[in-house]
Amino acid sequence: MINTVAGKTIAASLLLFGMLSPSFAHAQAASAAAQRETMDIGDEPGRISTEEATIKSGPFARQLVFFRSNEPPGTLVIHTSERFLYVVMPNNRALRYGIGVGREGFTWSGLVKITRKAEWPDWTPPPEMIARQPYLPRFMAGGPGNPMGARAMYLGSTVYRIHGTNQPETIGQSISSGCFRLANGDVIDLYSRAAVGAKVVIRHSAQL
Amino acid sequence: MHNFKYGVLVILCAGLAACGTVETMAPTAAPSAVATLPADALIGKWGIASYREEKDRVRTERMARSFCGRSPYTITKGPTDGVMMHVADDTKQYELALKRSRDGKTYLGFATPPGDPQDREIISMTDKEVIMRYVDPDANTRYGTFIYVRC
Repeated sequence: MINTVAGKTIAASLLLFGMLSPSFAHAQAASAAAQRETMDIGDEPGRISTEEATIKSGPFARQLVFFRSNEPPGTLVIHTSERFLYVVMPNNRALRYGIGVGREGFTWSGLVKITRKAEWPDWTPPPEMIARQPYLPRFMAGGPGNPMGARAMYLGSTVYRIHGTNQPETIGQSISSGCFRLANGDVIDLYSRAAVGAKVVIRHSAQL
Repeated sequence: MHNFKYGVLVILCAGLAACGTVETMAPTAAPSAVATLPADALIGKWGIASYREEKDRVRTERMARSFCGRSPYTITKGPTDGVMMHVADDTKQYELALKRSRDGKTYLGFATPPGDPQDREIISMTDKEVIMRYVDPDANTRYGTFIYVRC
């Protein structure tokens, strides 16, 4: 299910109250994917971030937290408004990561599964980025200068992903076009914990 | 970034107005001092993609070709002997020339001595494909090695 904030907060509310089925969500996701051939992550290539880059302090640092949830262990819960991703663990605990999220108009909520994982994923700049930066390669094989960062987890059949970044300073901000980004060291840690098929719940609380 | 005319102006400025030391400007030779090669072979439309590791080269080449239809990169003839292209991190196009260094390497760049940090080093070049990388280590690390496949 893909619900952009613009005009889609009702669907987000439905999801929060369990009124939107996963199958309906999947159908919407496929439709959204069909509308966009390339992922626009609103990021810049050519910056370097190593596998060791993590958020080391503050609320966005990776940490074990109390987390009450009915979701089974192994589920990923993303709170876009708070810029947190939780990996649900037993006994009302979760491992929390700071994330970067979609900018206004590009946040979404839904229920999807991890369908694929990739190390140092390739990157295809969207057409609008090529228009702005015509010197860019149209395809960049995975590597340290790649905006997708060290790892990627593909969400359902959507164009959206949980991925690393070559700009860890953007964690906690909303500048992407709907993807969820973590510092490379953190996304590598998450990658080792998140299995293909794992449930991913994306929640976005409407701002009043 | 410089084009040919700007390069000349900078050199004149260094000599006449003392706005730069002779030592600093010495590597920037006048255009006439740089032996260039015909760059016409680069003119046309190309699919471009980049990679970092040799294992990715073949599929990167395939991807470059796939962008001929969607988003080709067009190289046109420049005002003099060069071609109009972009350099790293700059949205403007400049006239660039093919240059041969004494050790036999070929570079693409401004009218500076071959191997200038703003140059690209030509790894291989045929009518159908050109492989090149930025001389500047930082740009090379960031962008990797480029494959240009003629459309």
